Amino acid sequence: MTDKTTKLLAIILTVIIPGSGHIALGRRKAGLFFMIAFFLHGAILYLAYVREELVWMAKLGKGDLFSTVAIFSILALIWLGSLVSLRKEILSMREEQQARPQSYWLMVERSFSRNKKGLVGGAILIVVLYFALFAPFFAPHSALKMNLIDTLVGPNQQHLLGTDNFGRDVLSRIIYGARIALGVGVAATLFNMVLGGVLGLLGGYFGGLVDVIVMRFLEAVNSIPFIVLAILVISVFGAGALNLVLVLGVFGLQPARIIRSKVLSIRKETYIEASRAVGANDLRIIFQHILPNSMAPLLVVTTMMIGTNIITVAGLSFLGFGIKPPTASWGGMLQQAQDYMRVSWWMAVFPGIAIFLTVFGFNILGDALRDALDPKLR
Amino acid sequence: MAGYIVRRLIQLVLVLFLITMLLFVMMKIAPGDPARLLAGVKATPEVIAVLQHNLGLDQPWPIQYIRFVSGIFNGKLRSMAFGVPIYEILLKRLPASVELGTFSLLLAIIIALPAGIVSAVWRDSVLDYSVTALSLGGISIPVFWLALMLMILFSVTLRWLPVSGRGATIGAWSFLTIDGIRHMIIPVISLAAVQTAMNARLTRSSMLEVLGEDYITTARAKGLRERTIIISHAFRNALLPVVTNLGLQAGTLIAGAVLTETTTAWPGIGRLMYEAITRRDETLVFGLTLFIAIFYLLACLAVDILYAYIDPRITYD
Repeated sequence: MTDKTTKLLAIILTVIIPGSGHIALGRRKAGLFFMIAFFLHGAILYLAYVREELVWMAKLGKGDLFSTVAIFSILALIWLGSLVSLRKEILSMREEQQARPQSYWLMVERSFSRNKKGLVGGAILIVVLYFALFAPFFAPHSALKMNLIDTLVGPNQQHLLGTDNFGRDVLSRIIYGARIALGVGVAATLFNMVLGGVLGLLGGYFGGLVDVIVMRFLEAVNSIPFIVLAILVISVFGAGALNLVLVLGVFGLQPARIIRSKVLSIRKETYIEASRAVGANDLRIIFQHILPNSMAPLLVVTTMMIGTNIITVAGLSFLGFGIKPPTASWGGMLQQAQDYMRVSWWMAVFPGIAIFLTVFGFNILGDALRDALDPKLR
Repeated sequence: MAGYIVRRLIQLVLVLFLITMLLFVMMKIAPGDPARLLAGVKATPEVIAVLQHNLGLDQPWPIQYIRFVSGIFNGKLRSMAFGVPIYEILLKRLPASVELGTFSLLLAIIIALPAGIVSAVWRDSVLDYSVTALSLGGISIPVFWLALMLMILFSVTLRWLPVSGRGATIGAWSFLTIDGIRHMIIPVISLAAVQTAMNARLTRSSMLEVLGEDYITTARAKGLRERTIIISHAFRNALLPVVTNLGLQAGTLIAGAVLTETTTAWPGIGRLMYEAITRRDETLVFGLTLFIAIFYLLACLAVDILYAYIDPRITYD
């Protein structure tokens, strides 16, 4: 077989089953990765099909549009990704392998992928993310439908983690609860990363009035314990997922401080002076030098902040100031569990474990990122 | 130094003014009427109107604001729901919170500092890994869930500890009686868990940084005992960020234990705050928040002043 036909065969194989082309070319590791990903997602799709939760294949009015779109998009991405990666492999076969440049981010990537903490954290989060994305496919029962005959049943074969006081399956509610936890947690964190990042950048770089106002506002906000502040604000604006995101986003402005102090220290570096001497304007300096150099601490803080935000959302829901029942949320489930503490421990134990594992995942991921990003530790 | 403290105090007053404004506006734009809530569902409009007048809710906002602020200063501001002056309620509830906060902070310090030092000194040992894993786990536990778990295990199942509340007290303090101590165990442990984990991490990273400094190498080269190096050379200097954190936590611990206090029915400031907000007790919320903020800001100031004593390199002018 000539070289050309092998390549052609690899492309055809990849179109049929992603990853098989890589294996035909001798790239075993990458090939297995794509194949396993492809078959796992195929299995999820099959599960969804069997359970009639796919929107376009099930009877009318059934199914979950979000999850259906998600599973097909991910499958398409795997296909596309494997083709792109195959093209890269073929191109690199043509040329002699060159020494790859050692950029900062490449080093970070290598150090990160060797870190066990990061892998464990990543694995936990992928499981939680998939529960959130495909909750209707995985959940054995409805998260909302009450069943007043089977109330407060302990863990058994039919209800692996038992049922609550309305006869709802605890496992299913936990799986659906992942949506709220990740959705609100991530959205709120992105919000305060962007807002805090911009304010910190402006305040740190230009100083002046913006800096004074932002810092005084932060000081005022920080002098009230966050949970108290959040309850106060939510009692004004009302509970609900969107308001939680807004409250956590606007008042959790710690990133602003971190960025600001980082910017302040970078601003005095000689390379900033040099680029200004060459004639770079403020915008160029900010985007070319300041932002990339303050990225590392921001990334670590953001990762861990998601965990903190998930705990805060759970705490607020626990107090009745967060996600309102009957929507399944981990904190809300614990609030319910408190009343039945004496009779059904399973209601209190499992949602808490879900919160703990998710937050733990973000925390060890953040810790691993810190190890990888800090050149001093390498 | 004196000039610095005065300047900081002026700043503090400014921040407090900002807080009173924010708080007042927030409470006033909140939907619902405290008088209506207090009067109950069956109240006639006349009753509500009288109540509104008695509480001063019918006055214009600026007047109400001035009444709130001046009421804080002369101690005449009364709680809308309880009808007694704010400071009386505050004084009654404060000991419980102080007690809870102090003991959890002590517990956290006793465990966290040695754990952090050990973990830094024997870096990459099994001991270090376990401390790191435990502290990463510790900061991931929701306090209210931990309290719930401890209650289910020790109170409901094993029946070793009382479920909730504060138990017998001598004066205002429950740590003086056996019953009181038994009631304290669960809230203190729940509140201390996260603090312990945070401080252990901080101590470790701070120690690691200091142990890498040149003067530690010098001290080793001089042939000093390892113990002397670790305790008097490294730890003293590693203490600075830890003290900052402890100072800041002291503020939030005393007043911000809302979740622990509501879960375990501990009658402190945190739970009072929660009750006040759910009852729309505007005056009480106002007074409490201001108290918490003052406490916290003073704690920050105290930490900054303490810096100068711990680290002679730091001077304020």
